[in-house]
Amino acid sequence: MGTFIQLVVDGLAMGSIYGAIALAIVLVNQSTGMINFAQGGMAVLSAYFAYALLGMGLPLILAILVAVAISFVLGALIERLLMRRFESGDPDTAVVVTIGLLTLITGIAGMVWSYNNLQFPSLFPPDSFSVLGAAVSWRSLGTFLTIAAIMVLLQLMFQKTKVGLALRAVADNPKSSAFSGLPVGRLLMIGWGLAAALGAVAGALVAPRLSLTPGMLDGALVYALAAVILGGASSPIGVVFAAWLIGVLENLAAVYVPFIGHDLKIAVPFVLLFVVLLVRPQGLYGRKTVVRV
Amino acid sequence: MPKMKQLWSNRWVRLGVAALVVLILVLAPWNLDPATNQALARVGVFAVAVLGLNVIMGYTGQVSLGQIFFLGLGAYVTAYGVNEDWNIALVFLLAVVIPGIAGYVVALAAARLGGLAIAMVTIALPIIGVPLAKRLSDVTGGSQGTSARFTSAPDWFGADLDDIWQYYIVLAIAAAVFVLVHNLVRGKFGRALAIVKENEAVASSMGISPYRYKVMAFTIAAMIGGVSGFLYMVVVQYTSPETLAFHHSINLLASMVIGGAGSIAGSLLGGAYYVLVPNVTNEIDPTLTALIQGVILLVVLFVLPGGIASLPRVIRRLFQKKDGGGDRTAGRPTTATGTLKTH
Repeated sequence: MGTFIQLVVDGLAMGSIYGAIALAIVLVNQSTGMINFAQGGMAVLSAYFAYALLGMGLPLILAILVAVAISFVLGALIERLLMRRFESGDPDTAVVVTIGLLTLITGIAGMVWSYNNLQFPSLFPPDSFSVLGAAVSWRSLGTFLTIAAIMVLLQLMFQKTKVGLALRAVADNPKSSAFSGLPVGRLLMIGWGLAAALGAVAGALVAPRLSLTPGMLDGALVYALAAVILGGASSPIGVVFAAWLIGVLENLAAVYVPFIGHDLKIAVPFVLLFVVLLVRPQGLYGRKTVVRV
Repeated sequence: MPKMKQLWSNRWVRLGVAALVVLILVLAPWNLDPATNQALARVGVFAVAVLGLNVIMGYTGQVSLGQIFFLGLGAYVTAYGVNEDWNIALVFLLAVVIPGIAGYVVALAAARLGGLAIAMVTIALPIIGVPLAKRLSDVTGGSQGTSARFTSAPDWFGADLDDIWQYYIVLAIAAAVFVLVHNLVRGKFGRALAIVKENEAVASSMGISPYRYKVMAFTIAAMIGGVSGFLYMVVVQYTSPETLAFHHSINLLASMVIGGAGSIAGSLLGGAYYVLVPNVTNEIDPTLTALIQGVILLVVLFVLPGGIASLPRVIRRLFQKKDGGGDRTAGRPTTATGTLKTH
């Protein structure tokens, strides 16, 4: 039982990381209809920013906060300078652009900080406490709670503030929002900025566990995409629950199913995905969309 | 220009040019050093891989990030078959059929979701493929990989001419695949793919099931990937989990876009890009390789979305503009995944 609880908490922590990136992907997808394959790469770059600020003598929490702010600006700039041109065009081309962006960001991180593993300190103490005979690490619990809190904040922003309302309007129908006088371009920049900032938090939280490399979140990106499909891209809550489910299931499968083990646990979400796709093509929570011809 | 066009429309001129190209390709390796021949053979290998990607992405408009997986699968099947001393024709057949079946199964699920879901599902193939290849070490040789030598030149050809012999094998098989795909995309099947890419609703209203054609295109792409895997073993004679790593898949996709999506010539250019450009960038500075390739891809998307293969068309259009008027419909606008979609 002890191991089980421990695995569930660790799974929820990793699931939160996948969930944060998945939510960032949904945030962009809802407003522009594109899938940003560079979302994980951008998060890694933010973690490197935090690392650099740390090297300049800033305390950890401040370094992370400044890195998050920089990421927000960078995300907005990427939307304005790079993606804007491809938004109205063919979504397949836009996907290729984000893949180019991923290559570019990996290249920049590799050039500046090398491809070697770097140690990144954790916000939370490394020790653990015991609940019902299970050793639960502060790190896992802290990661889970931080991301959960940010998600609640985001939800409040979307539901209760004017900016949130405007963002939802743009996501729903960019053209009629423009007719109603909303600054669609600026709102898209905010959407991309928020997504990048969310990714930055995830990157900084997971960097101590995975140790910092330019390809650190390639795996997490794959989990996040699986969560987006499982949850249905139209449902932010569904995506987060799918991410938690994936995190917990893969951890349990790694320990309790001998064939899978730790090296093949990445196959778990895709087996799940296969089954779901064959039974419920719109995702667990997503709505079936009807396309007008 | 019109005279050139007239000349080109003459069947004998075209055949003559084709014969000349074949002659040059056949004679070239005798005048080049082994390293260059090896590089040319590798270009052939990856041109086939890019061609496979083009079938699903360039012609059918479905982004696939998993093409390298089928290359790796074909390579592993080839290595296993050769080491078990199976007949080489059987090995080739299996190296095509097994990736084809794998592609079919993946496509059955992935093509269910419209739009970008294929991209999101296929990204998993290389990511799962690498640990899987390490795990199945009885068959794959684990992390060390496995080698298979079966392409040493026979005695009548000249025992020290391995590089030319391998070049000829690649040339023959790659040429056959290119001709097959060329005919495929120009026929009824190709037109069906084009309409699925253009507008799925129109396709279904014409009795063309987008789902079925996507699955078929993906299966064909996987089979061509298997062929390129076989060719990979012909030239490299060694494969490891690294062969099907994720960044190779990204490079393959970038090569396809840079060469020219939805274009036979573009596939060849893409193969050349895949092999030759990393050599150049590694020469400059290995740590800069990813950066330079990212920049090249983004620049191409901005200024030449049809890839290098569309360059002659773009130049022709520029000249026509200068002349004032002329045939304005000659150059179709292109996007990174082929000709422009109109909605």
